[in-house]
Amino acid sequence: MSKIWLVASYDFKKHAFKKSFVLILLSVPIVVCLFIGFTALMISFENNDAPLGYVDQTGLLSDPLPLPGSDDDERVEMIAYDNEDQAMAALENGDIQAYYLLADNYFEKREVELVYLEEPGENAREDFYDFMQINWAADQPPEIVQRVADGNNVVVRSPDGRREFPTSGPTVGQILPLVISIAFIALVLFSAGYMLEGVTEEKLNRTIEVVFTSLSPSKLISGKVLGVLGVNSLQLITWVLFGILAVFVARNVLNFEWFQNMQLQWDSIAMVAVAGVLSYLVATALMLAIGSTIVEAQEGQALGFIFYMLFMVPLIAVVVIGENPNGPIAVGMSLLPFTSLLTLSLRNLFISIPAWQLALSILVHLLCVIGTVWLATRAFRLGMLRYGQRLKFNEIIGRKKPTKVERGQA
Amino acid sequence: MNPIEVAHIAKAFGDTKAVVDVSFTLQPGEIFGLLGPNGAGKTTTIRIMLDIFKPDRGTVSILGGPMTEEKKERIGYMPEERGLYQDIALDRCLVYLGTLKGLSKSEANQRLEEYLDRFDLTEHKKKKVKELSKGMQQKAQIINTIMHQPELIIIDEPFTSLDPLNTQLVKDIMGELRDSGTTIIMSTHQMHQVEELCDRILLIDKGRDVLYGNLDDIRRQYAGNAVLVRADRELPEIPGVESVVSHNQATKLILTPDTTPQHVLHTLVDNGVTLEKFEIAIPTLDEIFIRVVESGEA
Repeated sequence: MSKIWLVASYDFKKHAFKKSFVLILLSVPIVVCLFIGFTALMISFENNDAPLGYVDQTGLLSDPLPLPGSDDDERVEMIAYDNEDQAMAALENGDIQAYYLLADNYFEKREVELVYLEEPGENAREDFYDFMQINWAADQPPEIVQRVADGNNVVVRSPDGRREFPTSGPTVGQILPLVISIAFIALVLFSAGYMLEGVTEEKLNRTIEVVFTSLSPSKLISGKVLGVLGVNSLQLITWVLFGILAVFVARNVLNFEWFQNMQLQWDSIAMVAVAGVLSYLVATALMLAIGSTIVEAQEGQALGFIFYMLFMVPLIAVVVIGENPNGPIAVGMSLLPFTSLLTLSLRNLFISIPAWQLALSILVHLLCVIGTVWLATRAFRLGMLRYGQRLKFNEIIGRKKPTKVERGQA
Repeated sequence: MNPIEVAHIAKAFGDTKAVVDVSFTLQPGEIFGLLGPNGAGKTTTIRIMLDIFKPDRGTVSILGGPMTEEKKERIGYMPEERGLYQDIALDRCLVYLGTLKGLSKSEANQRLEEYLDRFDLTEHKKKKVKELSKGMQQKAQIINTIMHQPELIIIDEPFTSLDPLNTQLVKDIMGELRDSGTTIIMSTHQMHQVEELCDRILLIDKGRDVLYGNLDDIRRQYAGNAVLVRADRELPEIPGVESVVSHNQATKLILTPDTTPQHVLHTLVDNGVTLEKFEIAIPTLDEIFIRVVESGEA
């Protein structure tokens, strides 16, 4: 087996067989499952499908139009009672969850009275509201009634006409690129940690000198990068599979309305994936460089935290990005490594990002990848035998000759 | 083919000259002592030999030419800075490092079993390395250095943390390796071990080679004109003796340049002195080391 693969296999197993990795691997799916379960639970607590009664003393509902969807049991059944005594008896008997009273002065006061023993379901209230709405328009032509039944349908459209928001908020397809970018950030953070750990391990446990006399530094580092890449791929595949499973359950089992019409935006997904991969490469190479220069692992974690924060800067500037997604701040952050991933996803919610900006962003990222890989390779080569001694930036970029490793070692 | 030929290498780090001018050649199947005070340039010299550092000047030929990836598998190295993967089991750690030296996994496992048995580590093989004592870790380092049966071994302070029993075991193994044709460079400050094991030595001081050659020749070279005498009574006055000093329950007689040991022996016998000991005073390597390093002489 090639020595690169030996190192990759060792590093992969080292990370993948750790209990902490399994926890990390399952953490995202568990959070997704908890979120879906909690949402379903909340909805089930809020809703009540038992029939709803009403007492109409006005005659408005004497010959009521049924709610659209009543035949499919999608709506709460509305039962009319002649008087309050009958309605109260039905309520006390548990036949209905509550009843509305339309008093004879309803047309003057525009008020209805809701009588219940326990708080009725949110869906029952909404259905009664719709029921009243269409019956108010009962004397109108059927198309008017239908329009009333459809309710508000305001579509927010971007000036270039390429982005639309329905009244109900962004669709799954619109949100998905943002979710993917957040998943990439999580992936980058984990991979950076693995890379830091992988690079510092041999340095801190002093095996590096023995390993260097077994294979070249370039092979060692290639193997380590492949190992971390394998671990990250395992993470990504697991998360994607869980994501697909979660969407399937939410759509087909729990019948969440939001998932019924997903309308995936493949161009946006591709854009975020490219930005994610490039950000991943820049971050991994930087962590490699940091790992080679530090004296203790804690230092690397502290420096790594700064990079994590850079990823999150767009969240701080989300209002600025939302208000002016084509403004200089939003465009600038789309071009720079770290900030680009979330910024592009956020801007993508509101506008269609111009192709030249995407091309420029990719170019900047590629240049950064080349630069950081060069920096990392030099730092690795110069820094790995610096036991207890920090590597200076000027030494890495070659502006200063390396100082002696340690007088005591020579 | 000499396993190593080093010619006038030099290496500086910034303003510090770690190695100024070092040259030496290793002969096949010898144990070679690389000596020097702390900071003399030994580790840098070794790292240059192993192609970890590039020399600023000079050349190194290792196993017949420049270092290659293939040659790395023919070399065993135990550096001054010891290191094993601490959080994994001993056997997994050594098998992994063995495979990096070109062994197949099954070969590595098989050889490891043999060495673990010999070093009395079999029952500890499933323990994490960090759970092992210093001495056990030292033995594991030695196994890692020799497990792939290298042609050339470079070993720094091999006897650190070892008890007398294990020290003897390592010495026996080094002897066996030499007998089988393996060339060994040993860097140590334990001069008595060098005297016992090494055929030739190189002493480096301040980045320069200051003493190089056959150990016996060097000791003779530094012997001076003196004899060690132990007798049943006080020694008489002997002509040609410059000074008399006490030396390890004997008396060291420093002779004038024109006086020979034979002359002293004759004088003592003629005076009826019963001798318990009479030998040419050869300095220990410790004494030579101190003398050379303190005086800066070569």
